[in-house]
Order: sequence, then C-alpha cells, then structure tokens
Amino acid sequence: MADHFTLMTLHALLLAVFFAFLWKKDPGERKRYAVKVFLLLLLGAIAVGWLMYPFPS
Amino acid sequence: MGRGEGARPGLPLAVLLGLAWLVPGLGHVLLGRKSRAWVFGAVVLVSFVVGILCQGELILPKPGDPLSYFAAVATVGNGLLFFLARLLGLGDGVPTAVTYEYGNTFLLTAGIMNLLLVLDTYDMAVGKKEW
Repeated sequence: MADHFTLMTLHALLLAVFFAFLWKKDPGERKRYAVKVFLLLLLGAIAVGWLMYPFPS
Repeated sequence: MGRGEGARPGLPLAVLLGLAWLVPGLGHVLLGRKSRAWVFGAVVLVSFVVGILCQGELILPKPGDPLSYFAAVATVGNGLLFFLARLLGLGDGVPTAVTYEYGNTFLLTAGIMNLLLVLDTYDMAVGKKEW
C-alpha cells in the first residue's frame, strides 16, 4: 500500500471511471473518456514530477 | 422535460438529497439509475477505504487553519462513511506515515465525489438531466 506510483495510478483510475460515468451517457464514449482522463492524470503527474526535478526543495 | 418535472420516487427533494449524501449512490438508486449507482458507490467506497488504510485523516475544522474548513466540507461529504469511521475510531490520521498525504487525498476525493453525486441527483430529480 506504500507504493506511491500504485496509489497514484489507483487514484487516477477511480477518478477516470467516476467522471466517465458522471458525464458520459454512451458506453463507447464513456470508455474513451475514461481512458483519456486516466492517461492525462497519470502522464500529467509524471510530467509535473519531471518539471519539478530541478527544484528539489 | 423542463425544470421541476424530473422523475422522483415520491420523496421530498430535501429527503432525496439527504439520502444521496448519506449513502453514496443511493440517490441514483432511488431515481432508477441502478447500474450507475453501483459504480459510483463502489468508487466512493474504495476511495474512502484506501484513504483510511493509508492512515489518512478525516480533517475537521481547526482554529487558525482556514483551509481546514474547506477540507472539513469534503470530509463530511462522505456521509455515513464519515460517521461510521469516526464511530469506529478510524481516520485520526498518522502524519508521520509515508502514505498520510495520499490517504488524505483519497478521503477528500471520496467526499467531493459524493457531493458531486448529490448535485447529479438534484439535476436528475428536477429534470435538468434525463439519464
């Protein structure tokens, strides 16, 4: 449970599923939206992490 | 279907919204959106349980900490889960735990999601959302 990446991935997954079911009606559209939100959250967090790399403190 | 013409299960709107807040997904169940309700209930429950397991804190208002008031709204937004956890002595939080901040994030997110479900229930109940 202490693995940060696993927790971040789980969080992104839960949010993606939640908003896909909240905002999209069509199952196909819902699936595409969930994948998009999941990837944006996950890759966005990694990107921000790398951007913060030169500023450790 | 216009505003005020939504399908309601014979309950006053305030009671419906109160139930939707207390039990994640119940508002959708009462409005006949059962499959979505199960997904919403599961997502909020998993998020809340993971937050507790990560030793996150159910944040309540702290004097001198204005942001804690916003966090408290999200915390109480968990409805019955919040009261159950407090009753069981859970959610005190362990700030020294490596997963403490993650736990807080999961708990706050669960509460916010449940509050969004209450708003969604409202939209369906008054006919602003038909599905």
